[in-house]
Amino acid sequence: MSDKKTLGEMLTERGVSRRSFLKYASYTASILALPPTAATAIAQGIANARRQSVIWLSFQECTGCTESITRAHAPSIEDLIFDFISLDYHHTLQNASGHLAEEARMQAMKDNAGEYIVIVDGSVPLKDDGIYSTIAGITNLQMLEETCRDAFAVISVGSCATFGGIPGANPNPTGAVPVSDIITDKPVINISGCPPIPEAMTGTIAYLLSFGSVPELDHLGRPKAFFGEAIHDRCYRRPFYERGMFAKSFDDEGARQGWCLFEVGCKGPVSYNACATLKWNGGVSFPIQSGHGCLGCSEPGFWDMGGFYKPLSTAKGDPLQWAGGAAVAGAAIGAASAAIARNKRNKVMKEGK
Amino acid sequence: MRDSAAPCLSEMSTGMASSVLAEIGRMLDTLAGSDEPGSIDLRSLPLSDADRAQLEELLGRGEVSAELALAGDSEVWETTYPGVWWIRHRGAGGKIASEVISVCRIPEILMTHPADIEAAASRLREKLETTDV
Repeated sequence: MSDKKTLGEMLTERGVSRRSFLKYASYTASILALPPTAATAIAQGIANARRQSVIWLSFQECTGCTESITRAHAPSIEDLIFDFISLDYHHTLQNASGHLAEEARMQAMKDNAGEYIVIVDGSVPLKDDGIYSTIAGITNLQMLEETCRDAFAVISVGSCATFGGIPGANPNPTGAVPVSDIITDKPVINISGCPPIPEAMTGTIAYLLSFGSVPELDHLGRPKAFFGEAIHDRCYRRPFYERGMFAKSFDDEGARQGWCLFEVGCKGPVSYNACATLKWNGGVSFPIQSGHGCLGCSEPGFWDMGGFYKPLSTAKGDPLQWAGGAAVAGAAIGAASAAIARNKRNKVMKEGK
Repeated sequence: MRDSAAPCLSEMSTGMASSVLAEIGRMLDTLAGSDEPGSIDLRSLPLSDADRAQLEELLGRGEVSAELALAGDSEVWETTYPGVWWIRHRGAGGKIASEVISVCRIPEILMTHPADIEAAASRLREKLETTDV
């Protein structure tokens, strides 16, 4: 349950100094793309906040989002967030099970009415009265509506909760929908990705704690700090794209030289996420650095975009329209496929699609 | 942490180091003139490894340096330009979690927070009461 002491008081008792808060705040300001001077305000905001009650609901999902946020690194600055929240319900991580688990959820809702955060991973099936996914004898829809009623804010994590994801892919046998289709009377923050980047999840929670408000969101409800730029814009292979130097297959000379992966299906130009800057596995790498194109997993309908290995300029379903015509913003020089993509984008924009 | 999986541009100098240096110069002028501090988040800039190394070399290390052991290691040092501090926080696996150039008299992270002083005083009182010195 949430502690009535402030986080500053609580952690001082445990020997955690304010310098640790400031270090965490400096890290948070950096990942949220806030000026370094915001670190003092973040540190103060967190120190004065109460421990945040969090109820985590898992519906039609694979638990990859939970795996991502609980990544197995040594305790360090990034993990301080787990001292700042009270995870009152998470049916994979909690010790309690059955009726006791559900009682914990109810108690947290009662004790923290109007103040708790609900995190959801997984989509919600609506077909046939939502019978395709149930927990504790009720449908996901019932549990979502019941739990969100008195929440302060809702965070959808992962592409299933934000856009329907794989359960919602064609032919969508369960009638899966994202959380934002159901919860419309309070802020729903979307942190997409399959899975989402851990820092995008923890950074957003830290922002809510520090400032008591929702961060600036894009047109899909995603925090701009993490989803404000296309992967292509910050990709270290971008200079090769500009020069028209493309890998044509995964074992050719271009691939070995680290050239742009656009022609082997990279969806970086139409995918908005922070993979190229924050990276994965503690900053080790990200798919493009490991030699594979971006799958576009943070975008709506990524599973149905005509093939992971087809270039954007040839994949079905007009992926350029998929991302609002944002593809191929840079000027490609001497690249036939890039030029085709650009022409196609212009055509889409001209036709006002 | 270096990009190591695929060939990339991390070893190329892009000229960013001198741009950052010019910005630091402007901040230092402001600090000297009006005592107003400033800072630059190095992680927010598209610096290559070579740029970062060049900047570190250009600024050098001055008279003061400190190591902080809190939730992972941190290093703070004053550069050869007094008032220009380099603050490097490490996180999981030793990777750089935050790296900031702070132009100020003394970085906030080196100062003791009043809440910590209060807690320390209380702890020491308790020790004196329970220990036969």
